[in-house]
Amino acid sequence: MTDRPADERDLVLAAQRGRQEAFSELVRRHQRRAYVVARSIVVNHEDAEDAVQEAFLHAYKAIDRFLPDQAFGAWLHRIVANAALDVTRRRKVRDADELPETVSSPFRDPAEAGELRQRLREALETLPARQRSVIVLHDVEGFKHAEIGKLLDIPEGTARSDLHYARAQLRRVLGDVRSGL
Amino acid sequence: MSDAEGMRGPALVRDDELTHHLRAIVAPPADPGYWDALERRIMARIERGQDEGRWWVLSPRAYQIGLVAAGLTLILAGSVYLRSRAVDARMAYESVIETPGVDTPVFARRGPLDERRATLRAATGH
Repeated sequence: MTDRPADERDLVLAAQRGRQEAFSELVRRHQRRAYVVARSIVVNHEDAEDAVQEAFLHAYKAIDRFLPDQAFGAWLHRIVANAALDVTRRRKVRDADELPETVSSPFRDPAEAGELRQRLREALETLPARQRSVIVLHDVEGFKHAEIGKLLDIPEGTARSDLHYARAQLRRVLGDVRSGL
Repeated sequence: MSDAEGMRGPALVRDDELTHHLRAIVAPPADPGYWDALERRIMARIERGQDEGRWWVLSPRAYQIGLVAAGLTLILAGSVYLRSRAVDARMAYESVIETPGVDTPVFARRGPLDERRATLRAATGH
């Protein structure tokens, strides 16, 4: 995973000197990957977007403490993962106080097209949060086990076994739907 | 898949169909306009966050309200000061012209004697 083009260090240094346009460029370069990291932890688009915004705000405030020779992407992804976990915790508290019908999603997920994807989506949401994160980060975004371990603060072996259980669970759903169709 | 380790053993065999559906489920928005808008929102939040941190930074509207409030306070304080000076002057004048003379009798009202003191007075004759 190469997340550090040659001039990224210059952008970080400029952002540390207070140049907002440099930080804006960092946002432009990293927001998509940040979204995917967040989306692997939270269960819907809105929460992922919230987590990304929170994370960049936090990164901006903490940029003075970042060492420019490190990989900005890896540092940012840790912040995004923490922000996403915070959003998830807040969502749990909120959902406990609300009726399920009040949770709406104006963003139309392309996966809602077919029954199979709908079932898979539901199964993905019922997976334990860590397993969900691991399978999305690994299979969808191509993160390596070691990177996932660092990102989620778990041993590499745990990431590996989480991937195994998540795949097995989702494959079972896939098989059920296929046999029912 | 980027790492070969993920392909080792039956437990970690990748299912291409599953991956395909997963990609569709968690796919980030494809519209470039979405990302431009998100970037703008992030930078706007950062700017707002900075202004919240700097309490001495006031918006032009806050400046206007502050100036009007300061002006009104000044006018109010001035009028209170002038009124209190006028009252002081009048009281000083009245205290001079209304001071009672030495020949003016001053009456002091005494309350009724209590029973014990009345008996004592009757007994001693004073």
